[in-house]
Amino acid sequence: MTRESSAGRAPPSTKAIPFRKILIANRGEIVCRVARTLRELGIASVAVYHHVEMNARHVRIADEAIEITGETPVAAHLDGKQIVEAALAVGADAIHPGYGFLSENAGFAKMVADAGLAFIGPSADVIALMGDKISARDFARRHGVPVAPSVVPAADLAGFAAEAEKIGFPLVIKATAGGGGKGMSVVRSAAGLDEAARIAASEAKRYFGDGRIYAEVYVERPRHIEVQILGDGEGNVVHLLERECSVQRRFQKIIEEAPAANLPFGLRDAVCQAAVQLAAAAKYKNAGTVEFILGADGRFFFLEMNTRLQVEHPVTEMITGFDLVRAQIEIAAGLGLPFAQDQVAARGSAIECRICAENPERDFMPETGTIQYLGVPEAPFLRFESALDAGQKITADFDPMLAKLVVHGADRNEAIERAIVALGELAILGVRTNADYLARVLDHPALRSGALHTGFVLEHSPSLAAGEPDAATLDKVLIAAALGFREFRDQVFDVPEPYASMGRWRN
Amino acid sequence: MAFKLTVDGRAHEIEIVRRRPHLVVSIDGRDHEVTVAGGFEEGRQAMEVAGLVVHFVRAPCGDRQIIRLGGRNFETGLIDPRSEVAGVGGDQDHVKAPMPGAVVSIHKSVGEAVKRGETLVTIESMKLQMALAAPRDGRVAEFLRGEGEKVEKDEAIVRLETVVREG
Repeated sequence: MTRESSAGRAPPSTKAIPFRKILIANRGEIVCRVARTLRELGIASVAVYHHVEMNARHVRIADEAIEITGETPVAAHLDGKQIVEAALAVGADAIHPGYGFLSENAGFAKMVADAGLAFIGPSADVIALMGDKISARDFARRHGVPVAPSVVPAADLAGFAAEAEKIGFPLVIKATAGGGGKGMSVVRSAAGLDEAARIAASEAKRYFGDGRIYAEVYVERPRHIEVQILGDGEGNVVHLLERECSVQRRFQKIIEEAPAANLPFGLRDAVCQAAVQLAAAAKYKNAGTVEFILGADGRFFFLEMNTRLQVEHPVTEMITGFDLVRAQIEIAAGLGLPFAQDQVAARGSAIECRICAENPERDFMPETGTIQYLGVPEAPFLRFESALDAGQKITADFDPMLAKLVVHGADRNEAIERAIVALGELAILGVRTNADYLARVLDHPALRSGALHTGFVLEHSPSLAAGEPDAATLDKVLIAAALGFREFRDQVFDVPEPYASMGRWRN
Repeated sequence: MAFKLTVDGRAHEIEIVRRRPHLVVSIDGRDHEVTVAGGFEEGRQAMEVAGLVVHFVRAPCGDRQIIRLGGRNFETGLIDPRSEVAGVGGDQDHVKAPMPGAVVSIHKSVGEAVKRGETLVTIESMKLQMALAAPRDGRVAEFLRGEGEKVEKDEAIVRLETVVREG
């Protein structure tokens, strides 16, 4: 039996996957993404949904869907026990957790395994090790992976501020159990430290149920470089090169690319090797991402390891030609690594843009609304990953990320050009998004030259603002709008002769 | 005949100058001949202004229309002359939620004097906490929403009053 790879370049595997049905414990675009690979593999997909998302695309595209309940939609998606019961009820063999929600919850991974199901992810122990930032850093340090200096674990908040001050400013406060920028802030002077620590601890408590925070030296103008790895759980690890995710707002990535632009000679190998070293030491099983910050001086430090599929995994798939979801499933099925390191090579360049319901002109505040019209660009070099529908209400119930627009080009310049054109063609009307802002970011000379760092958006904010539309554009908008209003159109087209032929007149 | 339209909240006038053989409109003294008016419906459209094709996307949204043109979205409305009212100036008395969410904590109490820029409340929306500051010096007159309560976008949470010096 042979199967076609979705990416088209992976050598067809001849090993049979023992799974017949997999429940995807997530929502939105990532469910659609995972289900696509499952369909190619001939495995049935099962979606879960809270009743507010009953008609959502991720529910419609799955082969089966099962309702989960909770006080809020998010609470339902975080209810591991209920989801495991759902998986057992529909006769699933395995659970794919996607990203976010339960994907890095060690308790959930254990619950899945205890129920006799395969968890498409690492063991609960490894999730716990990497999920706690302090234990992850200690582990990295012990295994020769460079770690940023000056960590101060905090027992209580008052003691924390005093201790943190000793490492100097600027420093960054992070949640021990954190991720995704929650409970994280940069503090530049002692004056703001108390309040920043209080907010960080309370955010950490609310989102992770764990209010512990720590501080470390803040590397100025750092780049965010991460390495995609696959491990088989026996200590064998391959990397699929790096991604750069330096373009961020509120500590969350909005543009990611692979490979990273202008990496100094030898650095790519060093970073990828450090990632492999860490994953091999942990006997890591699954797809995973080792994140680093890279200073202007070429030094890089371990940031964290994400023990799941990453939002931005498509850029790696586009340059390597491998299907990471398929690789995850094959590894979880005990089939080992699907390819060897020497089969991994970069072809061209890929860029992902995260389309979010937010207002870049108002500090990226989340926006809500109803999608009145959805027009999606299509091209062979493009993936539009979403679960959007026209008529869909965008509420504050879930994360503001609506979709991912991913393009491939023969080189970085072509990928940038293609992304800008595609963002222009994308039409999401009815809820404000950052799509046009992302096009301006990609068109910025500093981005084109590869002068990236995590403060890019802040540094260039004046030149990234939309500005006023010119009069010619405004006139066209007025004409287009006027012709869409019945009152105006009636006055133009439903006026009988001889009035219609009359010249300028006023009422 | 002239119509008043708003584009992103700003009013503009568009006047029908001629209907035949082609529509000619005037906007701020600039005349434009619409050689092809294009479709009325929602979705991707093309019109021809002075012989040049203009692509745009249209979506009706209640009594408004969203127009995407030149890589940008515009919210447009038609002002009914019968209901036109004067605009209202900036509100310095109310601290409003910039996004829908919930009040997480209140940092001041009623009657307390506050300086411009001081944090009054912290709200949370879509996993994001945000401190809302006083827009001016004054005194807290009342909290319209309490800790844990939900707020809609642009809903007032705090009302400020002016401190009147006695004596």
